[in-house]
Amino acid sequence: MEIQQTPETFTPLDNYFNISFDAATRAQIRQAANWAKVYAICAFAGYAIALVVAFFGRMTYLSDSNPGALQFSATFRNARILSALITTAVGVFINYFLYRFAVATVKGIDAMDSVTTNEGFNHLRRYFRILGILIIIGLCFVVLGFIFGILAGLSHS
Amino acid sequence: MENDQQESLIQMHLDYDGGHILRETVRWSRFLSIVGIVGLSLCLLVLALAGTAMFAAFSRLAPGIEGLGDLAGGLLLVLLLVFFAIFGLLVYMLYRFSVLTRKGIDHQDQTVFAEGMKCLKTYFLVCGILGVLSLLANLFALTKLF
Repeated sequence: MEIQQTPETFTPLDNYFNISFDAATRAQIRQAANWAKVYAICAFAGYAIALVVAFFGRMTYLSDSNPGALQFSATFRNARILSALITTAVGVFINYFLYRFAVATVKGIDAMDSVTTNEGFNHLRRYFRILGILIIIGLCFVVLGFIFGILAGLSHS
Repeated sequence: MENDQQESLIQMHLDYDGGHILRETVRWSRFLSIVGIVGLSLCLLVLALAGTAMFAAFSRLAPGIEGLGDLAGGLLLVLLLVFFAIFGLLVYMLYRFSVLTRKGIDHQDQTVFAEGMKCLKTYFLVCGILGVLSLLANLFALTKLF
């Protein structure tokens, strides 16, 4: 009797297909998405508060009768508004993807819809990617700061 | 047996697109976690080397704290330890998510993949709790400001 052997050729597609979203995994992903939504909403609210504080908040610690101090406080206020606007714009942009991840993933998991779930994970990928790129940019500034600091130190000595 | 087969057919599977997206997600999350681990380690190193000088500078900024003596130092140390513990947990969970999910996909291991997703849940759980706490602190500061 001839034994038929099936060829064991695994493609990446087969590789992924062996992983299933079972009930336990779906529960974990749903909870992760729900907490991500909580975090994103808190972040949106936090940015709104930061904007309100920047525009309408009093700066009691700078309310000196000294004219020089008043001029400084006006410059400081403008800088505070500008930094709040930039921080809010960047933060809302980043957390929007986290919020989309949460919404799409819960929707996909509840409907057992792979396409919507993938869309949700795609938003998570974008969220992490933007964070990563921002960190790389920040690290570049740190390195440049170090280089300029060393050069300034060498030129003084 | 028949029920198991039916359940297996009904279950959602990770398709090619999903696997590809998750692979890239874990790549970026691993980068973020490694940067976080290095950053935290550097902070700990700076604290260990220049902790006394930093505390002296902090005392100059907040003069009232000097009156507390050793208690202020202990309080500051506890606060820093809590900070490092929370952010250490965050970056560790992110790292475990990236490593376990990648391993689960590569080795076709359902258990390891589920463990990775559990770490993602813990990561967002800690993030969510921190988000709620910081929102409450912001609201409290808002009431003080106006």
